[in-house]
Amino acid sequence: MAQFVAFIKGPMVWIAFGVFFAGLIIQGWRFFTMSRKKDPAYIPGTEKKKKKKKKKKSKKTKAKKKKPKTIMDRLQPLIAFADKRWDNLENSMFRIHPLVSVVTIIFHVFLFVIPILLLAHNELFRAAFGFSLPSLSDQTTDMMTIIFLLCGGFFLFRRIFVRRVRAITTWWDFVMLAVTLTPFITGFMAFRQWGDYPTVMLVHMISGELMLILIPFTKLGHMIYFFLYRVLIGSEYSFGQGKRAW
Amino acid sequence: MSTQVNREQIKGMLKAHKPRMKRYLSHCMHCSLCAESCFLYMKNDKDPRYMPSYKVLNSLGKLYRKGGRVDRAFLEDIKEIVWKNCVLCKRCYCPVGVDIPAMIAFARSICRSQGVHPDEEQSWL
Amino acid sequence: MIVGERKPLEEIAEMLKVYKKILNVGCGGCTSICLAGGQKEVAQLTRDLEGNFGNQGADVQIHELTIERQCNADFFADLDVMVKDYDAIVSMACGAGVQFVADRYPQTPVFPALNTTFVGFDKDVGWYEENCRTCGDCVLGETAGICPVTRCAKSLFNGPCGGTRADGTCEVDKTIPCAWYEIHKRLKAQGRLDLIHKVRPAREWVNQTRRSVIQEPYKERYTK
Repeated sequence: MAQFVAFIKGPMVWIAFGVFFAGLIIQGWRFFTMSRKKDPAYIPGTEKKKKKKKKKKSKKTKAKKKKPKTIMDRLQPLIAFADKRWDNLENSMFRIHPLVSVVTIIFHVFLFVIPILLLAHNELFRAAFGFSLPSLSDQTTDMMTIIFLLCGGFFLFRRIFVRRVRAITTWWDFVMLAVTLTPFITGFMAFRQWGDYPTVMLVHMISGELMLILIPFTKLGHMIYFFLYRVLIGSEYSFGQGKRAW
Repeated sequence: MSTQVNREQIKGMLKAHKPRMKRYLSHCMHCSLCAESCFLYMKNDKDPRYMPSYKVLNSLGKLYRKGGRVDRAFLEDIKEIVWKNCVLCKRCYCPVGVDIPAMIAFARSICRSQGVHPDEEQSWL
Repeated sequence: MIVGERKPLEEIAEMLKVYKKILNVGCGGCTSICLAGGQKEVAQLTRDLEGNFGNQGADVQIHELTIERQCNADFFADLDVMVKDYDAIVSMACGAGVQFVADRYPQTPVFPALNTTFVGFDKDVGWYEENCRTCGDCVLGETAGICPVTRCAKSLFNGPCGGTRADGTCEVDKTIPCAWYEIHKRLKAQGRLDLIHKVRPAREWVNQTRRSVIQEPYKERYTK
């Protein structure tokens, strides 16, 4: 048993992170090999001429830029920008599902921030590498963990009680939620010394390692695929121009 | 009409698109946030069977889970889903970025490859 | 597919200003695909109109419904039941759909929210280009799939005009390639260059009068 615990505390951590990073890199690489850059729209014979036109225009506008700018002139682009952003917000998921949108943002931000800025983790990191990231106070991360677990509870509730979510829920969804929440539950318990500390810590480590290993190969891979799909692939809903296609 | 389908052909098609389609199916978070973007879901009293995710998971998802080991009756069942319950207007929203229309279109092409498609009397198109 | 674009809000608001209960009907067909008249655009138009009418202090109710297509009677079950409760319908379908709806409910004023612009293809997300003008006498088989009506600025059928620029662009519109130059290139690549010499007589522009089509296998159904 002691050997097993030593393995989980030691080599398994490296294995888990190794699989995590290698897995993500491979997934990213696979995405780029499977997709292709879209050919830019071809307008024959215009490129050189367009450049010449731009130079002429800039000379003309420079000559005209002698009118003094009013405050409204300066504010106008900002107003247009804010208007467009508000319009986007109005048309977005925040309007249709305000609660889910807010909960999922908090959930995902805390999912990252808690483990990375946790004092206990940073002390382990310092022991291993000689340096660490700055840490939040234990009080803060404790509170954040409670909020995170409430968000997780919200997702669990949704999965069981909301008809439309239940209609597409499988046992694997419950497993994935458990895999994601267990490190945080056990970490919270360990910090408060609830339960048998060595056992709680062992479960904490195993569940954390399991989560890291599963991320590149399951739906948790949306960690990078969210960005790859929604930023790089062109679609009605892509952020930015979406210059890649399948 | 024969009840047999060419399973090897179906398996071949599934395999050819596996990297992309399996990733999409895997990355579906089963969150149901795609529902409101489908006008058919909205029009049919928010029946979950019209959710884009439901349609995909119960057509192409089932095809991949069964590894292409299906019969004609199965394809006739998913014909209803991918033709009657979807017009391929391509307006479905997915927060993760899964390309739902591509999966519906692919499921349609698998059905078509086995001669399963809406007939004249079924004006679903 | 058919491509359209939404009319300016002021124009739509002007058409609808006297009505108190309006039904905004979207189409799940072409206008949904070209991002002009689908469910999302219906919601946007409703918001815009409510804002516009609200600013003028008018008390207007606008409800929404999107159906599969507005050009086929099979999809009107929901609308048939709802239409009696409204003073007016604003349709986000193409001109064909707007008219179909207007014919189906002659008692209710039906207004178009879109200008139907052309038949074309998806160039990229949100970007559509015309490549068919439904002339009714398709010659694409002889021009290697390049339409001389839409892609030649002069719609020449026995081109080129002699004004092709040195870089292969059109003398009228230098942002487009000379269609007949492109036709020549492609016919040559396909080993069908003999077609370039075929003289086509002056055509009968049949798309100037209203047309009707019954597909061959269905003609028997409609003859007495």
